[in-house]
Amino acid sequence: MSALFRRFGSLIGMAAIVVFFALALPDTFMTARNWLNISQQISMLAVVAAVMTVVMVMGDFDLSVGSMASLAGVVAAVLFVQGWSVPAALAAAIGVGLIGGLFNGVLVSVIGILPFVATLATLTVYSGAAFLVSDGKTIFGRDIPATFSDFARSGMALGDIDGRPAIFPALSLVALAVTAIVWVVLEQTSYGRRLYAIGGNAEAARLAGVPVTVLRLSAFAFTGVGAAIAGLMYASRVASANPVQGDGLMLTAIAAVFLGMTLTENGQPRVLATLAGVVVLGVLDNGLTQMSVDSYVREVLVGAIILIAVSASALGRRGLFGR
Amino acid sequence: MSTKPYRTAIAASVLTLFASGALAETVAVITPYLAQPGTQFYVEAFEGRAAELGWDVNVIDTGGDVAAVISRIEDVVTQGVDAIVINVDPAQVGAGLQAAADAGVPVVGMDAGSDPLLVANVTSNGYAMAVETSVYVANRIGGAGNVVMFTFDPFPPVQVRGVIADAVFANYPDITVLDRITPDVSDGGIADSRAQMEAILAANPEAGSISAVWAAWDQPALGALQAIEAAGREGEGIVITGIDANPQARDAIAQGGNFEASVAQDFAGIGATAADTVARILAGEDIVASVIYVPTVLITSANVTE
Amino acid sequence: MTLSLQSLSRRYGAVLALSEVSFDIRPGEVQALMGENGAGKSTLIRLLAGLERPDTGQVLRNGKPIALGGPADAEAAGLRFIHQELHVVPALSVAENMHLHHPYPTRAGLVRWGKLRDTAKRALARLGLTHIDPDAPMARLSASDRMLVRIAATLITDGPSPWLYVMDEPTAALTGAEAERLFDVIGELTASGAGVLYVSHRMAEVLRLARTVTVLRDGRHVSTRAIGDTTESQIIADMTGRDLSADVPDRTVPIGTSPLLQVAGLTTATLGPVRFELRPGEILGVAGLAGSGRGALLRALIGASPRRDGTVTMGGTSLTRTTPPEAWSAGIAYVPRERRSEGLMMHRSIQENVALPHLGPLARARVFLNRKAEARMVAKRGAEVRLKSAAPSQSCDHLSGGNQQKVLFARALAGSPKVLLLDEPTRGVDVGAKHDIYRLIRSLGDTGMGVILASSDLPELLGLSDRILVLHDGQQAHLVDNTGLTEADLLTLCYTKEAAA
Repeated sequence: MSALFRRFGSLIGMAAIVVFFALALPDTFMTARNWLNISQQISMLAVVAAVMTVVMVMGDFDLSVGSMASLAGVVAAVLFVQGWSVPAALAAAIGVGLIGGLFNGVLVSVIGILPFVATLATLTVYSGAAFLVSDGKTIFGRDIPATFSDFARSGMALGDIDGRPAIFPALSLVALAVTAIVWVVLEQTSYGRRLYAIGGNAEAARLAGVPVTVLRLSAFAFTGVGAAIAGLMYASRVASANPVQGDGLMLTAIAAVFLGMTLTENGQPRVLATLAGVVVLGVLDNGLTQMSVDSYVREVLVGAIILIAVSASALGRRGLFGR
Repeated sequence: MSTKPYRTAIAASVLTLFASGALAETVAVITPYLAQPGTQFYVEAFEGRAAELGWDVNVIDTGGDVAAVISRIEDVVTQGVDAIVINVDPAQVGAGLQAAADAGVPVVGMDAGSDPLLVANVTSNGYAMAVETSVYVANRIGGAGNVVMFTFDPFPPVQVRGVIADAVFANYPDITVLDRITPDVSDGGIADSRAQMEAILAANPEAGSISAVWAAWDQPALGALQAIEAAGREGEGIVITGIDANPQARDAIAQGGNFEASVAQDFAGIGATAADTVARILAGEDIVASVIYVPTVLITSANVTE
Repeated sequence: MTLSLQSLSRRYGAVLALSEVSFDIRPGEVQALMGENGAGKSTLIRLLAGLERPDTGQVLRNGKPIALGGPADAEAAGLRFIHQELHVVPALSVAENMHLHHPYPTRAGLVRWGKLRDTAKRALARLGLTHIDPDAPMARLSASDRMLVRIAATLITDGPSPWLYVMDEPTAALTGAEAERLFDVIGELTASGAGVLYVSHRMAEVLRLARTVTVLRDGRHVSTRAIGDTTESQIIADMTGRDLSADVPDRTVPIGTSPLLQVAGLTTATLGPVRFELRPGEILGVAGLAGSGRGALLRALIGASPRRDGTVTMGGTSLTRTTPPEAWSAGIAYVPRERRSEGLMMHRSIQENVALPHLGPLARARVFLNRKAEARMVAKRGAEVRLKSAAPSQSCDHLSGGNQQKVLFARALAGSPKVLLLDEPTRGVDVGAKHDIYRLIRSLGDTGMGVILASSDLPELLGLSDRILVLHDGQQAHLVDNTGLTEADLLTLCYTKEAAA
């Protein structure tokens, strides 16, 4: 029983949060429409957290994802202003993500800088680049093509709910697709298995013939592209772009991965667990807002819940493995 | 005469009283910018008025995250609040406004900009502010003289100010608009305005050939003031006015030089009026005029220190 | 004053690491402690240092038992330990490093830096170490000076001054000139009345420094002899004497003729040049003292350390720029020495560990994991190496040392390699697993696989190898046929550099 609780304690805790809100908000929380809302609200975070999982699997970090998201958003917007077509501007913005990610990868795997230091520096570089590209201004209004901003309001029709038409939001679909791709890559390919091997023991992996340098490089590139996609989703949702709008995603994404790690055996980062972490964070924001909890109190609570989950998991593991 | 309708009416009014007592209206104020001083004036005044009205107010700050404003609008709509107040560009949070509109929750803007999805936007009247300063200029120069105008037509809120000043000056047969300048604003507007003003001063060297400078916002007025002082012509009685009453402009007005007047917005008034507007909506009133103006104040040396 | 060890025994699981060991240690002289790897030297030192408790037996000082419950007890008893890997703080000064285990001198809570420096300087001067500046950062000192600083630091003490130094392979990381300086300091220590228990594999040092030599073998005390009453060959005879032939089956299939692997002029930062050929079915042993480059040779062959010069040719194809992925795909497999740090992903399953180098060939469309094929591979190879585990999904950290080693063997064999590199394959495994591993190595040789076996275990090398390559300070010293070779012969080869090949 206690072993069971140790193994699944986090999951039980997460379920308890959902049950709590379901009881506290009986009419509004457990409704299809609210969950569709939540899915859309967390979609950008889900994408960043999923690709963050890719580097965290290797025991690395990418602190630059937030500023990369901002940069991708303003690059697309500035290209819109210059008359580029929507697909061309989006491709260019994702290309910026790829280049930025590759640059992180070179710093970490080829030059050998600690990921924390390397991506802390590129965080500043990409943020500065976002200010340069946008002149520090918010790009909005008629400069943003309707086809781009309408995307975030579109979705897959689900018929009527409560007499009003409902959609499965397009942003949620993108988040699901990215999560699914990351899941396939990490869990179903030899590429992903090798990333886990690097995280398990980098030296052993190298001696067993895993091309560690190349894999780390490519994983950071993967994360850069994901960050850029999240930045474009954000820009579409707010129909505008400014050079700081994605910055907050980084810390929350790392928090989500850590929350997810409390769910898995041996504390491995796994993308579905990360998704669960993202959902919990989204549910907390959604539920506490509905209960009219002060926004600053809400932040304190969210931080405290992350701490409780991670501490409980650490204590549980010590109980399991400590002697 | 039956007593029945009577009783029904009493029961209904008791119920209404009971309902309003036990179930206070809940209003959510959602802003990404609570840390900014202007926003704090709006929100505090709003909360003060709401307290008098007995509402539950939930102020939600998203710390600069505009996408989170959309998410929180969706959440409070789900929660079933009675009204929402925002002070962010409605075009950026259109997805949230649509969710509120679909659920029939009214949204009021506090100096947010106009949008069909807002029931009302409470703000200052740009036309009226231009009237204040252009009439001040006309009166100060006795309805006669040469006036230099600084305008900026590409930005709609400033463009309306220029239109009003054009009309006011055209109504005085003895006022001549010497030049209507659109300064380069890429560096804020002061430097280029000063350069343009210096050229005009050089072209009109004799004292009295320029009676006034009317600027559609404070920065060109400050640039013109610098040009006049640099040319040593501050003694000619050239009247300068701006709009917005920013701290630099207030300093210039307080010093009693050529910069004589500007117009200040009433932030607290906007907050309180937003609350009153919500109250009208909740009372069932149909808000016909979707833009609600809060009076502005002409700032001169007489009241600049208040 | 005499330290008497009486009937000390210590068991680790199935292994009796120390069995009824008794001998005396006297002050004022150097006593050497010798023995092969696994003879029990390290366990003995750990008992004296109070890091472990003996199962039975006691330690007497002048006839009175002393408690050795922890490092503090050992320190109070006047014992000091100088290890080959030193714990120093490189960023602090020499004087501060010398005070790591002593309170800094203070006045009113403030450190008296002058006194700290003087104390350090006096201690250094007592050993004649005037060339070391107490203010210099530790990082700037050579390896030998760091060790000498550590020795000098033991002179700074609040209690009685130390009278017995236990030095574990102190010269392993030192150059000849640096070692001379250490020997001078040892002379100073013994002249002042302290004793030194000197653990070393280096015969020349032992013969020169020690007055008595104690030899351990298989956890037992074999002999304690005065240096004048013994000879190098006598000591070697005491150290060896184990016969492993019963454990290792004989070769049944003759060695092939055409060379499988040709290595010429192979040089890396710490190795070479090395030149040899490996034929199909041949088991080539690699011998040498600690630090002689046995492991470095294997690491160079798998491509883990960059090659500076030389050629490696596999079946006629030259491996130009060897990296581990290329080496594995060319048919070279590797079982590293350190299971935990170099071999296994401890928290991952057996299946993931075994399949790791072979994911590409196993995968569907060379991309998607094929877990069924992995499971079949693990089942087949696991049976081959007699791996005992609950399930392929079992995490490696719950396996015994021997089974962990078998996981690495299963990994190496799963790709059907042509050449197998083994670095200390039986290190830290129990007798039963050792036996399995010997039989496996022999049977691999019989299938035509070439095996390169680096080991510090001489009976193991003699029992399995067809030829033995002896390394000395990274250089190839001998390459001999293993016919009629005795353990004493091999040990002598390891100690002699002169007869370079």
